[in-house]
Amino acid sequence: MSEGKNDKELLRAYHERGDTDARERLIEQYLPLVRSLARRYSYRGEQLEDLVQVGCIGLIKAIDRFDIDRGVELTTYATPNIIGEIKRHFRDKGWAIRVPRGLQELNVRLSHLLEELTVQLERSPTIPELAKAAGVDEEDVLEALESGQAYATLSLSAPSGGDDDSDLDPLESLGTIEHEYEVSEDRAVLAPGLAALDERERRILHLRFFEGLTQSQIAQQVGISQMHVSRLIRRSLEKMRDEIVTEEEPRRASESRR
Amino acid sequence: MTRAIELRIPTERPFHGVARLVVGGLAARHDLSYEALEDLQLALVTVLEGESYPAKDEVGVQLRVSDDSIEMLIGPLNGDRVRADLDSSGEELGLGRLLATLVEDAKVEAREDGDWLRLVKRVRGIKPAGANV
Repeated sequence: MSEGKNDKELLRAYHERGDTDARERLIEQYLPLVRSLARRYSYRGEQLEDLVQVGCIGLIKAIDRFDIDRGVELTTYATPNIIGEIKRHFRDKGWAIRVPRGLQELNVRLSHLLEELTVQLERSPTIPELAKAAGVDEEDVLEALESGQAYATLSLSAPSGGDDDSDLDPLESLGTIEHEYEVSEDRAVLAPGLAALDERERRILHLRFFEGLTQSQIAQQVGISQMHVSRLIRRSLEKMRDEIVTEEEPRRASESRR
Repeated sequence: MTRAIELRIPTERPFHGVARLVVGGLAARHDLSYEALEDLQLALVTVLEGESYPAKDEVGVQLRVSDDSIEMLIGPLNGDRVRADLDSSGEELGLGRLLATLVEDAKVEAREDGDWLRLVKRVRGIKPAGANV
């Protein structure tokens, strides 16, 4: 293989003439993209190199399945495939930062108490007030609230319509989202980040950050608990950040190859 | 009387929870409302997780409590990047819009060790430290 061949030429050489050297070249060229995406997930207790290996499987699948005639860039197609493979790895390995059952239950209790106290006091309760109502220490309250944050992070891959306050095992919903051409193409016409959100998530962010409503006001309007609003806000913002990175990485990768 | 708490954490995500818990502990000691705590924690995480915001492998968080406000300083950061995002269009859901909702003031300050973001959250009825300890 000569230097300077672009993706399309290499893909054509592999798909039409069975040139496995061309496939190797493509894999090498896209390794920085795999590494960059893997780094996003390495904080979840996995070694970076292991995740790079897993991501490479996604890359190879993308190269093998790529349809040259669709007129889509390989970077656009490979990125969701690599991320999908990494997420599938977490699910299949049964990866978990398991939140202890006691904390999960306290989190659910606090969610109910938060509603009750907000109505009773006609204002947002303090941590000591929540602790007193729950009959636990303030530190327990803080830890339980933090476990809710873990929930928000873990459920990133789950469709938001299905989760509610009684759903205690977010790990069940860790992602198996298969991205196809159509998904990538649809996203291209939406603003960065927002494309990753569903209608309810966008509405909640709009109410909070453009209309200036408080969490409890949004909870009333949308018909869910305040703590659920909190989780959706955090999760939506995290999704947006991840989406922006996902959109920027292929661009950076192709720029660095020029 | 102003009290201060300082911590320095690696920039990786698992350590953000440590910073959130410290903010939570401070909120509990001073009887801040759940909503005020949520705003502070979300503002903090938004900055910590901002792409390319932290300037080094470690980031410092300083919390100061006065009679009517909580001040949170985060740094050193890539000041130019943060300033640009703070000034971004109000129509976008960017750093500027988020912080304008969550805190009363957000400003980048130059220090000896680099640029720090100073966030101020006004809170009514802050209990003096130790009052309920």
